[in-house]
Amino acid sequence: MDISLIDAAVQGFFNLLHFKVLLALVVGVSIGTFTAVAPQGLGMPLVYAMALPVVIKWEPITGIALLIGASSVSAICAAYLPILFGIPGGGGSQATILDGYPMGQRGEARRALGASFMAGGMGALIGTLTLIIAIPLAKPLIYLMGSPELFVVVLWGLSMVAVLAGNRPLKGLIAAAFGLLLATLGQQEQSGIMRYVFDEPYLLDGLSISIIALGIFGIPAAMDLAVKKVGVEQQPAPLTGSLFDGVKDTVREWWLVVRCSFLGVWVGIVPGIGSSVVDWLAYGHAAQSARGGSSTFGKGDVRGVIAPESANDSKDGGDLITTLLMGFPQGVSTALFIVALLAWGYLPGPEMIKRNPDVIYSVIWVQGISGILGTLVGFALSNQLAKLAQVRYSIMVPVIFVFVLMGAFAVTRDTADLITVVVFGAFGYFMRRFGFPRPAMILGLVLGSLMERYLYRSMMSYGFTWLSRPAVIVLLILATTSFIFAIRGKIRSAAHVTSAVGAAMRKEDAQDDS
Amino acid sequence: MNKGRLKLRMKILLGVAAPLLIVPNVSYANEDYYAGKTVTLVATTAPGGTGDLRVRGVAPFLKKHLPGHPTVVIEYMSGGGGRKGANHLYNNVRPDGLTIGAASGGVVGLAIMGETGVKYDPDKFIYLGTAHHINHAVIYTRADLGLDSLEKLRAKPGLRIGGQEIGHVSYTGGRLLAYFLDMKEPKFIVGYSSREVDIALMNKELDARANSPTSALRRNPEWLEKGIMNWHAIMAAPKDKKFPRLEHLPEIETFAKNDQEKRLLKLWRNMRGVGSPYILPPGTPKEIVQTLKTAMNKIFNDPEFAPYYEKITAEEVSPLSADELTQLIHEIPRDAETLALLKQFAGTGTLPRR
Repeated sequence: MDISLIDAAVQGFFNLLHFKVLLALVVGVSIGTFTAVAPQGLGMPLVYAMALPVVIKWEPITGIALLIGASSVSAICAAYLPILFGIPGGGGSQATILDGYPMGQRGEARRALGASFMAGGMGALIGTLTLIIAIPLAKPLIYLMGSPELFVVVLWGLSMVAVLAGNRPLKGLIAAAFGLLLATLGQQEQSGIMRYVFDEPYLLDGLSISIIALGIFGIPAAMDLAVKKVGVEQQPAPLTGSLFDGVKDTVREWWLVVRCSFLGVWVGIVPGIGSSVVDWLAYGHAAQSARGGSSTFGKGDVRGVIAPESANDSKDGGDLITTLLMGFPQGVSTALFIVALLAWGYLPGPEMIKRNPDVIYSVIWVQGISGILGTLVGFALSNQLAKLAQVRYSIMVPVIFVFVLMGAFAVTRDTADLITVVVFGAFGYFMRRFGFPRPAMILGLVLGSLMERYLYRSMMSYGFTWLSRPAVIVLLILATTSFIFAIRGKIRSAAHVTSAVGAAMRKEDAQDDS
Repeated sequence: MNKGRLKLRMKILLGVAAPLLIVPNVSYANEDYYAGKTVTLVATTAPGGTGDLRVRGVAPFLKKHLPGHPTVVIEYMSGGGGRKGANHLYNNVRPDGLTIGAASGGVVGLAIMGETGVKYDPDKFIYLGTAHHINHAVIYTRADLGLDSLEKLRAKPGLRIGGQEIGHVSYTGGRLLAYFLDMKEPKFIVGYSSREVDIALMNKELDARANSPTSALRRNPEWLEKGIMNWHAIMAAPKDKKFPRLEHLPEIETFAKNDQEKRLLKLWRNMRGVGSPYILPPGTPKEIVQTLKTAMNKIFNDPEFAPYYEKITAEEVSPLSADELTQLIHEIPRDAETLALLKQFAGTGTLPRR
């Protein structure tokens, strides 16, 4: 079939105008919302795996509406955990804790949720629009990014430690180095050598980033509440602000949303960087570039919520670019989506663009519509969800612990994961107590194995000649420039309240000492 | 209490208790054994991957063909290439037929090779069969390199061959193919996902790859149709099965020079032929084993199974029954010399000299 792209876009929209398809979209949105707000354990990969045998018997567009509807909404609504409980949400909602949780603590949960959902919705739409534009452009971009380029990108990401360390650069470096060390645990894929495995099958694949993040953020948050609030008749901070304050904040920061959304799309397009990096990169960029950010980020600056959430939700558009246009899945969910497409008789990639462009546009339309629906659902739930911030601490603390333990167990269903999350929870508490920035450690952990892999591949394939590749040189210049600006910003603000994270830590230390 | 009354009470007590002390005559072959129960399939892979899809292709039919039609659920226990789940099945699971292992292909090979972290004996598992056992491997190079004959392939030094990780089938298979084809100082570069290898080939970061022909041609049919890759040789597993579109390629055993090399290939083919076996822990009662074996045979012969499985997994069905699979595993060469030789291919270091 040889039809113009405009005809395909129109046909793709008309494909959706059937009762069954719209019903499937609503069901998908419901499933996605449930996945986001239910206690951790039901991630999208498991939802896809369970739905697959059912949806492949449906008509393709109906199945697409359910699958894409669920995954799009799940990402948008996942911000409530970091904002209300201080627990990492999905893979791309970890950095939201840094400013979302302080906002929740001072009674601005509604504003934070409003900002996150609006930013998520805008990010999803930008990701969808990029998907439309990307059809002729994606392939050269993907093939441009070889192992050397990916290494430099990851190195650039590691330079964000300078931002995340606040005014404690040495402690930030130590934390990041420890994260890099943790990343070495397990069987090294290049040599097969067992590193710190001690003949334990549990450690063969290393430690799960999700479990470590749950532990070092979630448990200290709960312990903090328990230590400070249990036994003390102290009212939680009254709820102030509204959803629409958050919406207005996001609209005002539209340029930040656009920049972070494009960052998210790009991470989604390029194979190998991963969703757990996107929110940190966006947060670091926002902290560097936002006016006055060095003194407000980490203390409840709404921009620290807007940036990671818009990047996290636009990434889905980037994922779909490689999935639909190249046939390359970016994660388990997109891999299963490809399986579904194959079962329906479509071959993702250039063939699908030629033969079934209307189906591609149906996917794009579903992605866009479910992004809007996800935002509206988020708004509808926000008021009720925000009230959770006012629940007594004596109830909140065990609930947080249950969420953390369930989330940890859900990763591989191994009881040893419960021990791991508690150990890292205690570790995270002491990191916080002694001023070692936990985000820096997470960044080291996330990027460590990627750096090792890409450097190895670059050296094996090219020797040292990879350093002379044009794209590598450009990326190195950009990364160096970004790092210099970050350091310069730190030096300039050294006389004042210097950094968001550092100030937050000083505030926490003062509270601990009292 | 006088002795007479005590004796009477003891007799009454024994009379009541005696029937309870007799082991109940439960027939596991009885339809009622599985009725109303839940059967757990312990998958040794992560959810969402190829291994998971293979299990999902079988699960509904297990419910259909087991007498009593029990509920079938999947539990995930990934880690260590299947070692974690296999250890659990061997050491912790009650052998009552209600927990079945859906093992990944490497579980048997890891144990035979004596790898770290193995806490089970693969010969003591009870095998129920596998839904697929055909696992060919083919090696191909980028057409722009101009290596359109075996002579040119052998003459080109330092070809960069991509793979996933040390010990992965793509890595070991690639090294075996390179060895038998006498490739000159090939360089094996791992750390890629399957899709990333494709990208790396297209952007010329890699020169060659060993892969399942089914997967390779499903993802990139134009690589064969339009001559984007040159295809050199195939390692068939099992040996007597041809891959339809690559029948013209030489089978790797034609390059074997001695019995030791043929034994090496037999070892590899048999290990690959294990597929994704369904297993029971040792000590499972014979009647249960027979019931499950019968159910698996019914699954493999169900006319609805193959289309459903192929739709879910995008792979062709190629089942082996319990007896065939057990026979295959017992025929895996276990001599120290051949195992040591295979370990050289599964590990790092240069290829052995021929």
